[in-house]
Amino acid sequence: MKNDAPANPLEILAYIISAQIKDHTIVYVGTGLPMVAGILARKTHAPNITMVYESGGQDPIQGGMPWSVGGPFTWRKSPVVMEMAYSFGQCYNGYVDIAFLGFAQVDMYGNVNTHMIGDDFHQPKARLTGSGGNNDLTSLTENMVLVGLQTPEKFPEKVDFITSVGHLRGGNTRKKAGLPGNGPVAVISQCGVFDFEPETKRMRVKTLHPGMTLDIAQMCTGFELLKPEGEIPLTPMPTPDIIEILRREVDPRGVFTSLPSA
Amino acid sequence: MGVFDYSREALENLKIDDPGILDRLVDFENARTVHLNKDRSKKDKRISLKEAVAEFVQDGDVVLDTGFGYVRTCIQSHFEIMRQGKKDLQMIGAPNTNQSYMIVTGSVRYSHNSYTGAEMRGTDRNYTRQLKAGKVRILSEWSHGGIAQGLKAAQLGSPGLLSKQMLGSDIVKYNPYLKVIQNPLKKESDPSLFIPALYPDVTFIHVQAADKYGNAYIYGPTVNDLAGAAASRKVVITAEEIVPEMDIRCNKKGSIIPFFYADAVVELPYGALPGSMPGYYYWPRQWWEKLMRFSAINEENIGKFIDEWVFGTKDQIEFIEKLGGAKWMIEARRQTKAAEGDNEDVDFSYQEYTVNNDPGIFY
Repeated sequence: MKNDAPANPLEILAYIISAQIKDHTIVYVGTGLPMVAGILARKTHAPNITMVYESGGQDPIQGGMPWSVGGPFTWRKSPVVMEMAYSFGQCYNGYVDIAFLGFAQVDMYGNVNTHMIGDDFHQPKARLTGSGGNNDLTSLTENMVLVGLQTPEKFPEKVDFITSVGHLRGGNTRKKAGLPGNGPVAVISQCGVFDFEPETKRMRVKTLHPGMTLDIAQMCTGFELLKPEGEIPLTPMPTPDIIEILRREVDPRGVFTSLPSA
Repeated sequence: MGVFDYSREALENLKIDDPGILDRLVDFENARTVHLNKDRSKKDKRISLKEAVAEFVQDGDVVLDTGFGYVRTCIQSHFEIMRQGKKDLQMIGAPNTNQSYMIVTGSVRYSHNSYTGAEMRGTDRNYTRQLKAGKVRILSEWSHGGIAQGLKAAQLGSPGLLSKQMLGSDIVKYNPYLKVIQNPLKKESDPSLFIPALYPDVTFIHVQAADKYGNAYIYGPTVNDLAGAAASRKVVITAEEIVPEMDIRCNKKGSIIPFFYADAVVELPYGALPGSMPGYYYWPRQWWEKLMRFSAINEENIGKFIDEWVFGTKDQIEFIEKLGGAKWMIEARRQTKAAEGDNEDVDFSYQEYTVNNDPGIFY
């Protein structure tokens, strides 16, 4: 049965993430939507990418949608499965071009929090997972793309805990802290795609999704968004062909791309 | 005062006024002495899981969680640690998903935290609650890669290594073991992070096959286990199958943990349950969904869950019965083989556990 319903927001997000991936690159893939996007990119415009995973899986042959980054689909017939220390070392040594991760909070300089919500480490409003590989990838990878929902709480001026340094306090403070790489180059949300102004390293609107306005994006943000010069372009949307590939071949069960029903 | 110069800022932030509790994890001299005094003889080290836990896990030990959260992880050994009422353990691992439920019964009291959760199954609300109630104290915060490097430094035979991870982050402010120093070879400023070699007290590693001496073969991601085996003071190998030594020598080309690290060998088929085991069985996915979505949400639910699955089973065989017995075993093997590309694809659709819909099956 052909499902020709219009793309839902999660499907659109998966497509926008996939559009960041250039062919012939090495892509470090985190859990959730980034996995969907990586596989979608491989089935559309970037068939020659090499996908690598934190558990050590490298270049698996195509299979289904992983239930976990440690699951068999991330190392299916991999020529090599790396130890964890080596897999992050690969990012530091320049053998990873781009990585995608989620966040609980991201601030105006692209610093990421996956540790806790609240201002007391010992009595947090909510304790979250901790770093996992988030800090390692954000610290080391040449180009980092952050993906998540945009609300004022999730986009505060300052994160409650800096799990991973993006551009720290702006300017060249990331480099001064000793970190390599460009750090976060894009943030993708349901509102738009954001980049970082080259001098201040503050978050800036790059494109807005159709139907979004700058006012709405600003209302979803806990700090002042920088605007680019001139008219803000619209984010390119997926064609029906791409949505069909996503639904039929990439995430047929809608594990990551169907909206919660309740 | 002690021999280690821990980061004062981190001690204060973590409210640690008894820093001696941090020593064992980085006490190289002690670990080396323990390693030197290990029995080197190539002897039959097979014992039962009950014996291994009783003999090799002492209250207060630093325990390394192995595998990848719920992939080839020694979870049946964790359950036996809980059944035997071991107490006040420090847990470290990358990830350390499994410490959460072990806190509830008092087995784990201290956390060297890197990642607690089960990916898309949601935030682990049990860990938040235990932390707020003071039932677990965080002794250090880490990234996955930081722990991986600390264990790798131990395996390399190094006091520690310089890392470019965690720099500038608040993790450094909540980890007494880490020091930011200047790269000594660079003329210009080049901050680097010193990560000390890490020496856990006891490590259970679940593998696909081992011989009776403890040569252990891993298929699939080894994660941090080769380094962890080299670093740990005490090592218990649990294995799906015990094979002749010649099988390891001739056929098991891949990742091998050498026998001399191993203090004990346990034949423990299905020892990774309720995790998955490459080559052997897929996850009972609903088990994790129920844990994260229902059981973790309050004290009553988590208590019942632990009573049912840990104290309500005496071993992995009773655990399998609860998962669905032979039917579960057949499905779990089919699924893992298919996911690994070793039989024709099966349909991976399944009835997910949600709070409103408990399918009551685990495949």
